[in-house]
Amino acid sequence: MIFLIVVIVVVVLVLGWLMYTYNRLVRLRNETDQGFSGIDIQLKRRADLIPNLVESVRAYAAHESGLFEELAQARASTLSAQGVAGAADAAGKTGAALGRLFAVAENYPQLRASENFKRLQDELTDTEDKIAAARRYYNTVVQAYNTGQQTFPASAVAGTFGFSPREFFRLEDDGDRAPVAVSV
Amino acid sequence: MTLQQQIRANRVRTTFVLFGFAILVGIFVAAVYFAYQPGVAGFIGIIAIVYGIVSWFAAGAMIAAASGAHPVTKEQQPELYRALENVGIAAGLAKTPDLYMIDDPSPNAFAAGRDPEHAYVAVTTGLAKMMDKRELEGVLAHEVSHIRNRDVRLMSLAAVLVGVIALASDLLMRITIFGGGNDEREGGLGAVGVIVGLVAAVLAPVGATLLQMSLSRRREYLADASAVEITGDAEGLAMALAALRDDTQPLHTVTRATAHLYIESPLRDHKGLRSSLGGMFDTHPPLEDRIAVLEKLGGFTLPAPASQPATAQ
Repeated sequence: MIFLIVVIVVVVLVLGWLMYTYNRLVRLRNETDQGFSGIDIQLKRRADLIPNLVESVRAYAAHESGLFEELAQARASTLSAQGVAGAADAAGKTGAALGRLFAVAENYPQLRASENFKRLQDELTDTEDKIAAARRYYNTVVQAYNTGQQTFPASAVAGTFGFSPREFFRLEDDGDRAPVAVSV
Repeated sequence: MTLQQQIRANRVRTTFVLFGFAILVGIFVAAVYFAYQPGVAGFIGIIAIVYGIVSWFAAGAMIAAASGAHPVTKEQQPELYRALENVGIAAGLAKTPDLYMIDDPSPNAFAAGRDPEHAYVAVTTGLAKMMDKRELEGVLAHEVSHIRNRDVRLMSLAAVLVGVIALASDLLMRITIFGGGNDEREGGLGAVGVIVGLVAAVLAPVGATLLQMSLSRRREYLADASAVEITGDAEGLAMALAALRDDTQPLHTVTRATAHLYIESPLRDHKGLRSSLGGMFDTHPPLEDRIAVLEKLGGFTLPAPASQPATAQ
């Protein structure tokens, strides 16, 4: 009789823990999905600024067609990018192309003085900040998710139910800091 | 504590606060019943219940009204609003909190609201003027942390419930001392009533104050730590706290009921008055200690304040 009760208690405890761990992993996985779509929104927003930006530059520097072509490609690759690695790759290309555009703009004082260009530049800076913010959130939750799967005994649950680690969103020229782990 | 643990703990504490409020109201109603009139007691009880329900939904708006905070748009404050948006994104909030401003030269900030979807961050005009982008992001991230871990609901409820208890006990004290209705009633019950009334009038605000104290000290450290996680910039927040420390202007529209909401204690007279009680009645931990924690976390040292009165500890 006592043996039976002990067995039942142990089974209930194990099932409870299993449920808790499974739900925690699902929550973390949803957070990584949300985090990635947060980056995606900002990357698309940046891509949508490109046509206007190109138009305003073309008015003053029509012969920089190689640059415009590069920007158009970067935009297309952002809009069609698949997965984290694809999006990061496209984001890197777009960032590089935009960097060149602003370097070129330095040579055209009239362009830099134009209100339209200034507004676009301002909006772009804001979007870059938001991409950085969204990346920081994503990388933080990915770290939590991956750690949650790798630690024993949760790793057994992760393996059984097919949870797999996510990639961090990294850019090639990643000078920025890794997510700060703060424990309190 | 992880974020999930904080959220759970806050849910439990919120329940406690509501129960605590219900008990205090019960004591209060009983006191009025004995000391004054049963009819009035019932009336007060009903008002308290209605007030409690309204508080749940409208605590944020009530606090905004009490602290002189008004909503501002992105167009009015583009820089500040963008900083708030960025911090909200980095914190993973589904919606950017509303931005409110308080017309006051003293730098300070707080967050209030029912849940992350109905929350706002209020900053004073003085803070917006004084701080650079890094410092602002630190302050906003601190407030967004309060929103994300559901501190705001607990703190907002505490503010409006504590406020009304203080008011009510004050009223009861007057009624009891200056003899409201008990003269007309038979002597025996009247005397008991006076004592019950006095005890309740003293106990209620003490209980309310202790409740409020227990809320905000540790959670300021937690919000600081989460803010660093959000911005990745411990030094920015530390510089902001140092700026708050070095500023001596008092905040104008603040009451004891809303004091615990702010990033830094707005009641200047409490400053530097750390008595033998070890600051037990302070709503906030000393800024020095919070800066020290951030310095350790980020591995940097801020320059010492120019003219720092020796902090007694």
